[in-house]
Amino acid sequence: MTSVVVIGGGMTGVSVAHALARRGVSDVKVLEEGYLGGGSTFKCAGGIRASFSSEEHVVLMMRSIDLWARLSEELGFYYERGGYVWLLSSEEQVTRFRELSRFHNSLGLPTRLVDAEELKELVPPIDGQRALAALFDPMAGKASPFEALHALYLDAKRMGVVFAQGVRASKIVSKGGTVLGVETNRGFIRAESVVVAAGFGTRELLETVGFNAPLENVPHHALITEPYEEAFKPLVVDVATGAYIVQAKHGNFLMGVEVEEQAGSRPIVRADFAPKVLRVWSRWFSWLPNAVVLRYWVGHYVMTPDHHPILGPVPGVEGLYVAAGFSGHGFMMAPVVGEELASWILSGSPKSEHAARLTPSRFAEGRMIHEKVVIG
Amino acid sequence: MGRLKAYVCICEGVTVEDVERALEEGFTDLELLKRRLRVGMGPCQGRYCIPILVSIVSRKLGVRPEDLVLPKVRPPLVPLKASLLMEEGSDD
Repeated sequence: MTSVVVIGGGMTGVSVAHALARRGVSDVKVLEEGYLGGGSTFKCAGGIRASFSSEEHVVLMMRSIDLWARLSEELGFYYERGGYVWLLSSEEQVTRFRELSRFHNSLGLPTRLVDAEELKELVPPIDGQRALAALFDPMAGKASPFEALHALYLDAKRMGVVFAQGVRASKIVSKGGTVLGVETNRGFIRAESVVVAAGFGTRELLETVGFNAPLENVPHHALITEPYEEAFKPLVVDVATGAYIVQAKHGNFLMGVEVEEQAGSRPIVRADFAPKVLRVWSRWFSWLPNAVVLRYWVGHYVMTPDHHPILGPVPGVEGLYVAAGFSGHGFMMAPVVGEELASWILSGSPKSEHAARLTPSRFAEGRMIHEKVVIG
Repeated sequence: MGRLKAYVCICEGVTVEDVERALEEGFTDLELLKRRLRVGMGPCQGRYCIPILVSIVSRKLGVRPEDLVLPKVRPPLVPLKASLLMEEGSDD
């Protein structure tokens, strides 16, 4: 029987702990330096899609979407498959996304190009004339980061997972190439397996065992309005600017857009974000200037050079695993990541060959994959 | 009907009962309670309800109110119409 410590109480860490508990591991501890979800999980928009540009992302996310449906039903939390709509405003974008859709279809993901008329059906309040076409991903959807994380936490706790909040891991301790445990602000915690799912704290932690993970913390911004009656179901992306907008469960509009940020800079509010994101979306939704903005926050995307996460065993330290660097799509990947990490820990290999291609050693081995479709 | 409800958060309809249940489930941090119950997420952004929440939580947990960490306040301080936040003229 193995003992596992998961460092990180966000969607990734809690999903890994939950998956382990479901597979009968009775000694699982989750260490969270602040409050569960307080890292990147509660800052994210809750979008869930498989419409990426790499086979690894598409296949893994199709499995994750399957798990989202099952978990949300079993545990009773909000998850809606309203789709994603990618707005295309130039011929170049249309050509690119037409090819992308063919690629999706070849893997069994039924995305398709839609015209202005169908766009109006999918997103009724949009000024669709500005789009040449749009890509619709009917399998995509959205969930509430709060509800999903809390539901997994309660179920994991029920199965005996111990959650230690306010516990900050400072160092991973190993001897002779095998992990021994974790040094924390509340003392040393012994473990046979350690999973580092610490979001923007991952790089620093892995450095304590001499592993340099190519992770960069880049601030990303999001804004939310007051709640309104349901206006549209899909999460909508403006491909030209990378902006996204989604209507959350309670009716608030949550939106984001890329603003230039330096990797590693402190996530602080800036005066240009709100005007930019509101202006971008006001061009598509003429009523938006009348909406009331409630709050604006800054979170992190933890980026890797190829925008794919690093998953699995950390080279050189037996019993040490990592699940981080999700480049803006950690929340949606969490269910499949939980499954894959549990498989790695319990059987020595991941469940899928696609996860096997995402190990941290891929950079040293020259096996980078490339993801071109990152939003927000 | 016929049962008096004690509201902690009027914007989001959160009662004292809801808070007590959440505390029992292990949501003992104010930030966690905010995400679990939506206390402080309405138009008042916590101005009316967070002090009440602090009062209940400090008594229930036996912690001094001043030792409870208040949830982060996010801009804008008051709800603002989007048009006020959008600059005139220049485009990107």
